[in-house]
Amino acid sequence: MKLWQKIFLSSLLLIIAVVNIVSIMLLGNSHRLLIEREQSHAVNEHEYFTTAFINTVTYEKLAKNSLTLKVSEIGKAAESTVNSVSRTVNSAIYYSTYASAALKMPNNLNKQIHEELLDNIDLSCNEYTILTLESENKHFMTVGSAAQLDGELYYIVTATDITEIFNLRKRQSDFVREISIISSAVISLILLVITITLLKPLNRLNIYTKAIAGGQYNIRILKKGSREFCELADNMNIMADAVQSHALHLEKIAESRQTFIANLAHEMKTPLTSILGFGDLLRIKKKVTDSERIEYAAVIVEETKRLRSLSEKLMELVVLGGTEIEKKPVDLPKLIGDAETALTPLLTKRNISLITDTEKITIEADEELFKSLLYNIIENAVKASPDNSEIILKAKRNKDKAVISVADHGIGMTKEETERVFEPFYMADKSRSRKAGGAGLGLALCAEIAKLHNSVLKIDSSLGKGTTVYIEMHEVKSK
Amino acid sequence: MINILIIEDDANIAKMIKAALAMVDYNSFCCNDGRSGAAEALKGGYDIVLLDIMLPEMDGWQVMEKIKDSGIPVIFLTALQDVADKVKGLRLGAEDYIVKPFEPLELLARIDVVLRREHKTSSLLSYCDIEIDIDKHTITSHGEPVYLTPKEFDVIVYFVQHLDIAVSRESLLSNIWGFEFGGESRTVDIHVQQVRRKLGLKDKLITIPKLGYRLESCDSQ
Repeated sequence: MKLWQKIFLSSLLLIIAVVNIVSIMLLGNSHRLLIEREQSHAVNEHEYFTTAFINTVTYEKLAKNSLTLKVSEIGKAAESTVNSVSRTVNSAIYYSTYASAALKMPNNLNKQIHEELLDNIDLSCNEYTILTLESENKHFMTVGSAAQLDGELYYIVTATDITEIFNLRKRQSDFVREISIISSAVISLILLVITITLLKPLNRLNIYTKAIAGGQYNIRILKKGSREFCELADNMNIMADAVQSHALHLEKIAESRQTFIANLAHEMKTPLTSILGFGDLLRIKKKVTDSERIEYAAVIVEETKRLRSLSEKLMELVVLGGTEIEKKPVDLPKLIGDAETALTPLLTKRNISLITDTEKITIEADEELFKSLLYNIIENAVKASPDNSEIILKAKRNKDKAVISVADHGIGMTKEETERVFEPFYMADKSRSRKAGGAGLGLALCAEIAKLHNSVLKIDSSLGKGTTVYIEMHEVKSK
Repeated sequence: MINILIIEDDANIAKMIKAALAMVDYNSFCCNDGRSGAAEALKGGYDIVLLDIMLPEMDGWQVMEKIKDSGIPVIFLTALQDVADKVKGLRLGAEDYIVKPFEPLELLARIDVVLRREHKTSSLLSYCDIEIDIDKHTITSHGEPVYLTPKEFDVIVYFVQHLDIAVSRESLLSNIWGFEFGGESRTVDIHVQQVRRKLGLKDKLITIPKLGYRLESCDSQ
């Protein structure tokens, strides 16, 4: 069962039940009050009748001038009382033998009085016995009492017609039933409209949620309806934001992996093409001159070396990705001196001078990795520089950080190239860097090493003027 | 003489292609970037352009757009292996699409197909006393007609077109029977023996151990 149906049905049932119970109670109460009023009325009538009867008997005694009356004379008195007084009420006087002394009662009622009332009349003459009796679709309120007259016991009964009260109750309850049916219909209609309108935002939320779940992460839910729905919509929007950003993140990762693999395949296929081609030529040609053989084999060796360097760099990259580095205090001037020594052959070959300007700083780093980072960056600077130029390496203290910068006066890069330079396999100048034996992985490696040291590489470059690379490292305070 | 333009940025690959083409006496010229390659192609005089896709200055697709109206047949050479790239290349009007790395003989075979389609190669071949007319599918030895099955005919044509080149059984299988043919190299051996016998090439069409066969040129001995 749907929520709106539940809400609708339960409130409808509750309303109908409450209305009916209240009206039944009200009706019952007013009926009871009416009956009570009738009772006192009936008792009054009864008292009046009894008094009249006693008076008649007394009067007869005075008229006859005797102290006692015979039973038959009392019967006559009763007869006359019944006939004269009880025009408005039905009345009867019985002997103790239940025989009627005087009777003015409908037959059926008389029978019922015999059966139900007379036995219960209080013989001590102190109280009235009141009983409501039904006879031939009519309701009577009967009041009975006993009187001792001249040694004989008489029962005096009066009955008032109260059918009207019962009819009234019936009419009222019929009316209430009709009203409750009509009002139920009206209320259910109103409730239906209210429930559906109130729950409409839920429906909309549902549709939006389905759309988001179906992969349309850019959808945001409109805030409309009551506050709870607005809050829910807000929270769902926050959720959708999170999902979207995660999805985007994953997409980006997948995309960069895809690019990485595509680039890797390309980088492997290029040397393989030359190797396979020249190898096959050496195999299928009938005559290969000495110079041709040397030329072909030289290419094969060169391209094989390129593949080897590619696989080495790749391995480094993979291994770096999963390593925890061991940081130790490293003396920066000494480390730079080491790198300088290692690079001397490369520098002298191109007649490039490395000018170092280092303050005495101790940094926290993994010595081997950091050396390789520095080596790679200087090597890149050498590759970009023309012969007979200079590269400036500075290490300066900036607040609590050490800033190492490597500047060259080489070819430089455009802004677009600078942005992409950390991508694996990206080469700003492909043919040049291939000739220099690069695989396009050096800076990606450097960036990875910097990341392990909680640092980032910054590159400042302008085309034709040169490039400066900055590395920021935490300094170790000497005690 | 067939002139071929190679547009390829990797110097070693360009060198390899040049050497492979020289083997079958095709002239070739190399350009190592897209812009100069397109300019060179538009100068005319080339029968086929071999075009790399990842090129500096201007990529292969752009070069293709630029030169396709000139009507020079183009074969793409690329490391991209995506079917979508292949379709893109062919839709741009390329004649063929070769994925790197490739064997030189495969490249030559693809070039041959394109040249034949363009009727750039002569349908008449001769080798010693043997005359072959590819269009008419006839072959004569010392002026006498020789009857060969279609596959035997293809085999001798292939050998004459690749004089002095060692041809592996695999190359023969893929070039004559097609790449999809699931046959064995034994099929090749039987056909080569038939050709040898019918044309009397016992000393010329020699077996090279562990490799395949080679048809020696006529005047080499």
